[in-house]
Amino acid sequence: MSLGKRMLSLVMVVGAALAVSMAQASTDPAPAPAQSVAPGAHSYVPEVEKKSTSTADHSKFKELQQNFTSGPEVTKACLVCHTEAAKQVHKSKHWTWEFLNPETKQRLGKKNVINNFCTAVPSNYEFCTACHAGYGWKDQKFDFTSQDNVDCLVCHESTGTYRKLPGLSGHPNYKDMEFPPGSGKIVKAPILKDVAQSVGKTGRNNCGACHFFGGGGDAVKHGDLDSSLKMPSKYLDVHMDKDGLNFSCGTCHKTTGHEVPGSRYTPTASDDKAGGHMRGKEDKNPATCQACHGTAPHKVAKLNSHTDKIACQTCHIAEYARGGKPTKMVWDWSTAGKLDKDGKPFKLKDSGGHDSYDSKKGDFKYETNVIPEYIWFNGKVNYTLRETKLDPTKVVKINSFEGSASDGKSKIWPVKVFRGKQPYDVGNNQLLVFHTYGKDDSSLWSNFNWDKAIEYGMKEIGAEYSGKYAFVSTEMSWPITHMVAPKGDALTCAQCHAPSGGIGRLDNVPGLYMPGRRANELLNTAGWSLAALSLLGVLVHGGIRILAARKGDEK
Amino acid sequence: MLKAVLGFVAGVVIVALVGWMMMPSMMFTERVSPFGMEETVARIQHNIEDSPELKAKGWSLSGLRNPAKAVQTDGGNVLPVMMIEVCSTKYSGPILKDDTVRFLSILMPCKISIYKKQDGKVYIGTMNAGLMGMMFGPLVGETMGHVAEDQKLFLKFDPSKPAPQMILPKAPTGGAGAAAAGGC
Repeated sequence: MSLGKRMLSLVMVVGAALAVSMAQASTDPAPAPAQSVAPGAHSYVPEVEKKSTSTADHSKFKELQQNFTSGPEVTKACLVCHTEAAKQVHKSKHWTWEFLNPETKQRLGKKNVINNFCTAVPSNYEFCTACHAGYGWKDQKFDFTSQDNVDCLVCHESTGTYRKLPGLSGHPNYKDMEFPPGSGKIVKAPILKDVAQSVGKTGRNNCGACHFFGGGGDAVKHGDLDSSLKMPSKYLDVHMDKDGLNFSCGTCHKTTGHEVPGSRYTPTASDDKAGGHMRGKEDKNPATCQACHGTAPHKVAKLNSHTDKIACQTCHIAEYARGGKPTKMVWDWSTAGKLDKDGKPFKLKDSGGHDSYDSKKGDFKYETNVIPEYIWFNGKVNYTLRETKLDPTKVVKINSFEGSASDGKSKIWPVKVFRGKQPYDVGNNQLLVFHTYGKDDSSLWSNFNWDKAIEYGMKEIGAEYSGKYAFVSTEMSWPITHMVAPKGDALTCAQCHAPSGGIGRLDNVPGLYMPGRRANELLNTAGWSLAALSLLGVLVHGGIRILAARKGDEK
Repeated sequence: MLKAVLGFVAGVVIVALVGWMMMPSMMFTERVSPFGMEETVARIQHNIEDSPELKAKGWSLSGLRNPAKAVQTDGGNVLPVMMIEVCSTKYSGPILKDDTVRFLSILMPCKISIYKKQDGKVYIGTMNAGLMGMMFGPLVGETMGHVAEDQKLFLKFDPSKPAPQMILPKAPTGGAGAAAAGGC
């Protein structure tokens, strides 16, 4: 055998051995396609059993030993002891679905924002309020002052049997019910007495019942929040690792008086106050990385010198949707309403078994292990609200994250950018509210008629509609902050400071000089000139010294 | 004379170095897929399963592996990797019958790797079967030449066709080909 052949053989055998050993290392088959699950209809996963530290066993309370027939009845019983709880909830965003941004003065919250997922709550209350911390919000007449309407159970029960199905205006199903309709799947009615007696601290399942299923299904909206976080392993989240720290949501989102910190409407982009957060103090957001880790958490000083410009999440959440649940990346409403040859709505699946088309909703694209996009962000977010004028020739940003390299307040953040198409008013150049769900003839999902659905939705909010609609491309950004990977899986230096020709994570971030990556011709020329001059100086100086020495010898 | 010997040695060293540098790119090929992970896997699988031409040559899927899963179980993360295993007994049989080249069973079944990189794109990695086969005599050379030709058909995509469903193994693949419908 020639040397070349031997070398080729060696490489081939080593390569093949590596390939085989990798294949053997994994005896798992490919993952089964994840099923999209409707909000409220997900299966219960018990949390890791912890020794209770509570001083009260609610099953022993006389008030809870009755056969409740409705949620409000349970609330009445809760309020006998927890006299101030409902009043506190009334002030929270979980109840009002409203938020006035003190800086931008924009009126936000679910009640006001039009997003590019399910779009808008008005005219769809019965459906959307499955995720409201209350009972009975079916129209604009809902009584926000009623204490009995507060739903204590959704956040505090621990049986996993209490589900608020879409279409019931925030109530659980009090009778066994087929859900989704026509699916043949029966959702059992919860036994409210058992549910009421199970109450305790809010756990991951409670928060996850809504936040894991935002946007109409598991993992759809956020990308970094899905049902894989109910019982996560270390690779998925070092803080929530079921066999490790086992944090609940409330460990970081430390709640006082039912006010949960950590809002996406006013995110804390840069938390550089030295030291951690003293629990009980209200001087800063406790749900930031710095609140526990401070601003210099690394042993290597060079890494700490990055923390003033790089959000922790940028390096420590290198990809999102890592738990095997694909997140929705694209939603095109403009194709909704197609019917099959029998005039019936239909669905199509993608290669992984996820819906890629639904007559009710249009076209979708899903993805797992998504590499985030990166932006400068200073914490200020501006929304395109219903009344905001838009330019339909451009992609409309539902929310714009402010920030720049030079404002002294921004850091580079990872975001999920969700892209879609949704209806807008051609005459007024404004986003539209449309009636999606309802048993009436006007809802999109009952008659697939956009004209009727839009007219109904706009009438519901009392807004002007020109009568003509079209579809506009939209983008909505979501900061990525959950699914923190083990430190060994953080971005390495070379993933940003990649050699030219390689892939640099921050290549599209403007206003950034990346050593080893982005060449500035002027700076390069100046640097090389200085180096050349130095070399020349050394050579000339050395030459003169040698010549002078020789002349000295000759003398 | 000494100059000639030194020149020859230098030539050999340079050729060896060049060979060493080029070998990885010659032995394996990599291309960007126009589709996402799952769709790429599904389209390759169906190219193999649905082609009468490939079926006539004995090709069938013998597994689908997810090496990233093992890393997750160990508490770490890697970007998605899926390996399609495919085999034809018409090609593997003659090689497995010959004691002198039976060690090449280590390369069986054929693998096509689909993986995501830092740029978010999906790539397809394959072995350069034709070049590898040439190193092991006429039997293997000829067989692997056919394999190389068929590999091109595995990766011939028709974007006008709708995305097919991924074909998942019927049972966990304990070893290569454990869930094979055919193969090696």
